[in-house]
Amino acid sequence: MREQTAIQDHMAHFASAATAPVVIVGAGHSGVAVAAGLRARGWKGGILLLDAEKETPYERPPLSKELLKAGAPDESAVLRKEKFYQDKRIQRVAGAAVESVDRQGRTVLLSDGSRHAYHRLVLATGSRARPLTVPGARLPGVQALRTRDDALELKRLLVAGTRVAIIGAGYIGLEVAAAAAAKGCNVTVLEFQDRVMSRVTSVPVSRHFEKLHERHGVRFVFGAAVTEIEGGQRAERVVTADGAVFHADVVLAGIGVIPNQELAAEAGLECRDGILVDEDCLTSDAAIYATGDVTRFTSPIDGASQRLECIQNAQAQADRVAAHITGQPAAAPEIPWFWTVQHGVRLQTAGVRRPEDDVIVRGDPAGGSFSVIYARDGRLAAVDTVAGLADFRPARKLIAQGALIDPGLAADPGVPLADTILDDPAPAHADLAPARI
Amino acid sequence: MSNNELTVIDREGSTHRLEWEPDQTMMEALRDNDLPVLASCGGTASCATCHVFLDKEVFDTLGERSEDELELLVEAEGYQECGSRLSCQLDFSRELNGVTVTLAPED
Repeated sequence: MREQTAIQDHMAHFASAATAPVVIVGAGHSGVAVAAGLRARGWKGGILLLDAEKETPYERPPLSKELLKAGAPDESAVLRKEKFYQDKRIQRVAGAAVESVDRQGRTVLLSDGSRHAYHRLVLATGSRARPLTVPGARLPGVQALRTRDDALELKRLLVAGTRVAIIGAGYIGLEVAAAAAAKGCNVTVLEFQDRVMSRVTSVPVSRHFEKLHERHGVRFVFGAAVTEIEGGQRAERVVTADGAVFHADVVLAGIGVIPNQELAAEAGLECRDGILVDEDCLTSDAAIYATGDVTRFTSPIDGASQRLECIQNAQAQADRVAAHITGQPAAAPEIPWFWTVQHGVRLQTAGVRRPEDDVIVRGDPAGGSFSVIYARDGRLAAVDTVAGLADFRPARKLIAQGALIDPGLAADPGVPLADTILDDPAPAHADLAPARI
Repeated sequence: MSNNELTVIDREGSTHRLEWEPDQTMMEALRDNDLPVLASCGGTASCATCHVFLDKEVFDTLGERSEDELELLVEAEGYQECGSRLSCQLDFSRELNGVTVTLAPED
């Protein structure tokens, strides 16, 4: 496939490639970052940004945080000002629905019938909220949160006294729980697992955030398997497998996301719960890249096959795409990181924890601020920081190095993280440069 | 309100003059003028990729750094107690018209 690209480039030259732009499908963090990155790296050709949404591309993290707060403006922060797209000659088509990709002819077809040639195609189609599929899930009042419109609708519904049932105690569910509680709603979180954020963190952190939410009046029901949403004109009750009934005016489903890979799959690109990409973010077609939430790739850190749903990955992959298209070297692979804010308390994570990792609590959770270290074969693999960022930057560097950690020293918050590292006869990631943080 | 002028010394030591528009933070002005500021967190004082150095006289005119900002900066490459700021935390102000900032090294 790669060998063919040069030939196709040559052949397409006579048709359109010499004048065809880089076409980017999707204007979330990653799509916009590709466009901006191409210009920053000196790309002189055209850039066509096909945006499924209408308004100026915006930041998503505030949608479940600042935007929901009482008195907060309805405008979500934009990624770049409108003028930026004009100044940088980035042609943005708002409300563009891409129907299909013709890989042979190197064009994309939009639902309005227009066809656009591409020199390189970048799929930054992101992910969508996993829909609730139980009976009643389509009743009005059952919400998801992914877009600005979703957030504004939710904000309108969250008023004092409203009974809110949240299905799923992940980042989104808990951030909305915090916002709803702050507005005086009556909040119940229904979670199938036995603790909050079980996919992303350890028991000590889960327990800390459960207590935090409970202090703010949020009620948790664990082991809850939702079987039905009942109601007449609107959602009124959530029913679980054990027969329990929870009265609710608003139901929010925060049960994960699904990669928007359909366009790629229909074009015959290799997909497996995500569009498969290599270290340059190329798909199985050497003229087509994919970047951000929609991708599945092999971690350069530990070889795991992964999808990462985070801003850091959206940005870092976008930079790899821009580097590769312009024939420049890309930055060293980065340690992924994530953050959430609930009731004003920040949980910020470096690295990707695994359930079997050794857990070292650093500091006293009762004091409000602490870290949790995850060690794998004695090496630092991930760190959660709660209400304090002192360990965050050192952690990213040390994880990138695969540093051997002394668990006893690491448990003492008085010892700087960098001083808890043991001499290493065989460094794990000698080939990785320190992460940019 | 008219724009501020900003002089930026990049990591290679080159000087850039740019316009800082009133509705931007300093980070946004740097980023939108193609300076290599990653701003991974979108301006929420979470990452420190927009770390800059200011002259002490300018630094002293600014408000206190938040706890998050300070904790990130203290661990950053080349931290200066009386000069380091996250540029995403610096709103446009008349006092910052014409100042010179230096991009901190990446680490």
